Amino acid sequence: MTAGILLLVFGLIFLSGSALLAIYWAAKSGQFSNLSEGAATIFDEDEPVGKATDRFPVKNSQ
Amino acid sequence: MNSPSLLSSINPSTEPDTLDSIERSEIDASTRIPVLLFFGSAIFWLLVGSSLGLLAAWKMTNPGLLDSFGWLTFGRIRPAHLNLVAYGWSAPAAIGVGLWLTARLCRVPLLHSKLLISAAIMWNLGILVGLCGILIGDGRSIEWLEFPAYSTPILFVSFACIGIWTIIMFRFRKPGHIYVSQWYLFAAFLWFPWLYATANILLVWQPVQGPAQGAINWWYAHNVLGLWYTPIGLAAAYYFIPKVIGRPIHSYYLSILGFWSLALFYSWNGMHHLIGGPFPAWMVSASVVASIMMFIPVITTAINHHMTMRGHFEALQWSPTLRFIVFGAVSYTVVSLQGSSMAIPALNTITHFTDYTVGHAHLGLYAFFTMIMFGSMYYIVPRLVGWEWPSATLIRWHFWLSAVGILLMVSALTIGGLLQGLALYDVASTFRSSFEFAHPFRILRGISGFILLSGQIIFAYLFVQMLLKLGSPKQGPALFVKPSENPNDSVAI
Repeated sequence: MTAGILLLVFGLIFLSGSALLAIYWAAKSGQFSNLSEGAATIFDEDEPVGKATDRFPVKNSQ
Repeated sequence: MNSPSLLSSINPSTEPDTLDSIERSEIDASTRIPVLLFFGSAIFWLLVGSSLGLLAAWKMTNPGLLDSFGWLTFGRIRPAHLNLVAYGWSAPAAIGVGLWLTARLCRVPLLHSKLLISAAIMWNLGILVGLCGILIGDGRSIEWLEFPAYSTPILFVSFACIGIWTIIMFRFRKPGHIYVSQWYLFAAFLWFPWLYATANILLVWQPVQGPAQGAINWWYAHNVLGLWYTPIGLAAAYYFIPKVIGRPIHSYYLSILGFWSLALFYSWNGMHHLIGGPFPAWMVSASVVASIMMFIPVITTAINHHMTMRGHFEALQWSPTLRFIVFGAVSYTVVSLQGSSMAIPALNTITHFTDYTVGHAHLGLYAFFTMIMFGSMYYIVPRLVGWEWPSATLIRWHFWLSAVGILLMVSALTIGGLLQGLALYDVASTFRSSFEFAHPFRILRGISGFILLSGQIIFAYLFVQMLLKLGSPKQGPALFVKPSENPNDSVAI
């Protein structure tokens, strides 16, 4: 019982701890320095902001 | 474009947008076989798992149904249903979407596809062995881990391969910003094998004794939802909503905050399943507090998705992807707030051990996660097979059957569960009366199962048509109708 609880607490701390380590690395490597630019990384010149990319298919008569 | 690609070196006059488009289709093409393998098997197991769930639902109201078959008794098909939809459908669907998104967000073609193909084959083998194990009576009495001990190592090895692949992709990504979806994906792909291994070691190989078993069981079962399905679902929502409507996330800051608060609080949530159980009170309290803390990631995500969509709601008319994903994103908010409220002991006293919990589970795994997976597949599959979805009408049928079916199921189970819970709580009322209160709602739930299953059959039919490239060919390389064409041509609800 005690060993199990200890393992569980260890597990909880490990999960949260891995998140803390990752957040430290992310902050240090400048991931949070320019957020508005970050938000736009999924767009490019072919599919820019303002261009919708999904449609219901329509019957093509051509 | 930080460095000139091969194509621009050969022909410097190539337009940058053509380069982007070529780069993107190369990346998409590199993911084709593994992603379609995961999607195809996911859809197959979804049909099997849902049929078993439907049978289990009808057995709740007609206990004599098919009772001459030992392998179809409720005690076997109920865990078979849960494990098939969790590991047979949800996990491969999540892996497929995750692979495709990872390749796109890392902006490199998918590496080591043979590793992924063998992982997909092994995963399906593990599911098949596990399913047969449960049906012949080898299932374990550990909720969410009912697959017998001889099938779990196959699943673990398969997933470990995918975890390693994620690290390789992350390592070889193009330099630059890590988009919020990538954080979710990377975390989920690393957390799941770790969770799965820990739970199997502590519950199967070297079982801990006493109440700690229950604690580890629920720590695992809840984290599978929160640290595996939820991050993948949110990663897809954070990618597809902005991508489909062509507008960056409203507040990128909030999306980052949402990710990190989920990462920090979620792993503490599981023990709220043990409220009132023989378990150290401080751990349950810590878990209830963490459950309430989940309001932070949930509300930031809800605000963010709503504000991104604001002014673009008409897009729901023309985009299948968006329609499914927005339905899923709204359900995420509802199911998470409901989940946090269920951790409050006063409400938990009523809802624990009733159909209310079952309704909550389906709201999470179907209305949120599964709908987002459907939406993602509607976006991804045409880009992999180079073929249009053959019928908008059938997509609409799929959407409305899924939406109506799941709303009917969740409301029936929620109302029935509350009546059942209040009757159980009332000392003057008999145990039998709690069943009688729930009975009509269970019949409704059975009907809703038919509706959901018919939607899935339509989706499976569409998917097979896509794989075989059936239906009339659509013009040109455009995968969906170009937005510059009159969108009103295709509008119909």
